[in-house]
Amino acid sequence: MDFLLQLLANGLVNGTFYALSALGLTLIFGLMRVVNFAHGELYMVGGLIGWALTELVGANFFLALLIVVIATGAAGYLIDRWLIERVRNQGAESGILLTIGISIFLTNTALLIVGTVPHKVLSPFANKPLFLGPVVLTQSRLSIVAICAVLMLAVHLLIKHTTLGRAMRATVQDAMAASLVGIRTERIHGFTFALGTALASAAGALLGSIYVTQPTIGGLVSLKAFVVVILGGLGSFAGAIIGGLVLGVAEALWGGYFATGYVDAIGFALVIVMLLVRPYGLFSVKSERA
Amino acid sequence: MIFERRFLLGALAIAIVFPLLGWSEYVIHVGVLIMFSIMLATGFNLIVGYVGEFSLGHTAFLGIGAYTAALLSSSLGMPIFFNIAAAAVVAAIAGFFIGAVTLRLRGPFFVIVTLCFAEVLRIVANNWVALTNGPMGIAGIVKPAWMAQQTALQQKIDFYYIGLALVTVCVYFAYRFVYSFLGRAVVTIRENRFVAQSVGIWPYSYSLLAFVVASAMAGVAGAFYAHYVSYVGPEVFGFPFMISMIIMVLLGGKGTLIGPVIGPVIVVLLEEYLRDFKDLRFSIFGLVIVAVVLFVPQGLMGFVAARREQYARK
Repeated sequence: MDFLLQLLANGLVNGTFYALSALGLTLIFGLMRVVNFAHGELYMVGGLIGWALTELVGANFFLALLIVVIATGAAGYLIDRWLIERVRNQGAESGILLTIGISIFLTNTALLIVGTVPHKVLSPFANKPLFLGPVVLTQSRLSIVAICAVLMLAVHLLIKHTTLGRAMRATVQDAMAASLVGIRTERIHGFTFALGTALASAAGALLGSIYVTQPTIGGLVSLKAFVVVILGGLGSFAGAIIGGLVLGVAEALWGGYFATGYVDAIGFALVIVMLLVRPYGLFSVKSERA
Repeated sequence: MIFERRFLLGALAIAIVFPLLGWSEYVIHVGVLIMFSIMLATGFNLIVGYVGEFSLGHTAFLGIGAYTAALLSSSLGMPIFFNIAAAAVVAAIAGFFIGAVTLRLRGPFFVIVTLCFAEVLRIVANNWVALTNGPMGIAGIVKPAWMAQQTALQQKIDFYYIGLALVTVCVYFAYRFVYSFLGRAVVTIRENRFVAQSVGIWPYSYSLLAFVVASAMAGVAGAFYAHYVSYVGPEVFGFPFMISMIIMVLLGGKGTLIGPVIGPVIVVLLEEYLRDFKDLRFSIFGLVIVAVVLFVPQGLMGFVAARREQYARK
């Protein structure tokens, strides 16, 4: 029983991390209808910048996080205005290809710069174990979970309760009508992509303090994020959180009771089963937009 | 149609004469790679260019074909041509089942789920050590018996002609498919699903048929690859193969028959040329994809076709 509780706790913690790492992806899809294949690479860039700032420069963890968010957010805005804007109305395929091109470029350029060695972001949270009844968790993980929760809440409030968020939602619902009422849709698209990019790289910097970051990790992160958002429903914010938790718990239980070799396949198996039952995810995009 | 036929026959003639000009082993090797790529691209194009759905899991069938041939050859000692035929059949069956699940979805869902299938197969190939030998892969797939006495160059030339024959078969099938009622039905689905349904074309079954044909071609390519490099590992399911397939088809021009023939020639030559740039070449490759999407979104043949239309109108 204790073993089960421990597995559940691990699963929920990992699940929160999965949800966090998928948030940027689902946001960009929900508010822009772009499947961002460079998502994992943006995560990787966030992790590497975080590592460079904390380890090489010696900056404070939170300061590094702030710099990562601002720098990658600005880069995301420019990527959208310079590249994605040109293929905006050419269907999903062009966006996918464009982001695949960006992802290949980012991975290999990062490889050229930092090499294949895995790096870790230095964080102020101790790796001390905490005993919660029968369950053991480390302090650093719990701290990151708390930061995740704050971040998710902040993004939720931004989208639901600010003028910018309303403009984002109006733009995805009907870009023409949005521009008629004075919303500069091109800029809004840019901000949305910047927000998604900043979230992806913030996830990279946060989780980079727990796992390691290396240039080739992007593909794996993207795949897990895809699994999470497909499970929850592409574009749905609540769906990403639920999908992340489901994936985390399923992987923990499978790894704990069955073979560890196939753990990475669990998510894909879940997705395939999900398709047979509910093809468009637990929370379909129609019922909720981001 | 006439232009395509003439072009393809001309290309075939050039391809037949090409190895007779006394090239080095390396050049013939590049030729073999081009043949392999054309098979893959031609099949993939049927899905991307004609059905109009974007699959990221086509390596699943490449890998299934490669493993089928590798297993038949290494454990049962079957000859190459039998293995290639068997790989086509096995890949087609797999294509039927995977297509039956995935073609219920469209757009981004289809893209991601096809990718999931390829990933699952890669993980299985990595972990099912008893069958696939895990990450070590299956090595030592025997070359055909008649090649035993030949020089390395002659062996490569033999493989080149086997590849050319397979390419001819694949392109011929694609040609017959595209210019039959099947091809027209599939294009109707691509252009407007609802119109297609209203005139009695059932999108699901026609798309599935195209998917199965494309899978069989990828299976053939996989078996050919397995015999040529005489080694198969889990990386045949990997994303790099998928990326080169995508670039080839898009650069050449999706939805044309010539595109997936020209695309591989350009991409393979470009890959070999960029070898001088060492690690930088992959970064350059990423930028090439971005440039293609931005500047020639319909590919080279799309560009040519637009020009020809303009010319004809005048």
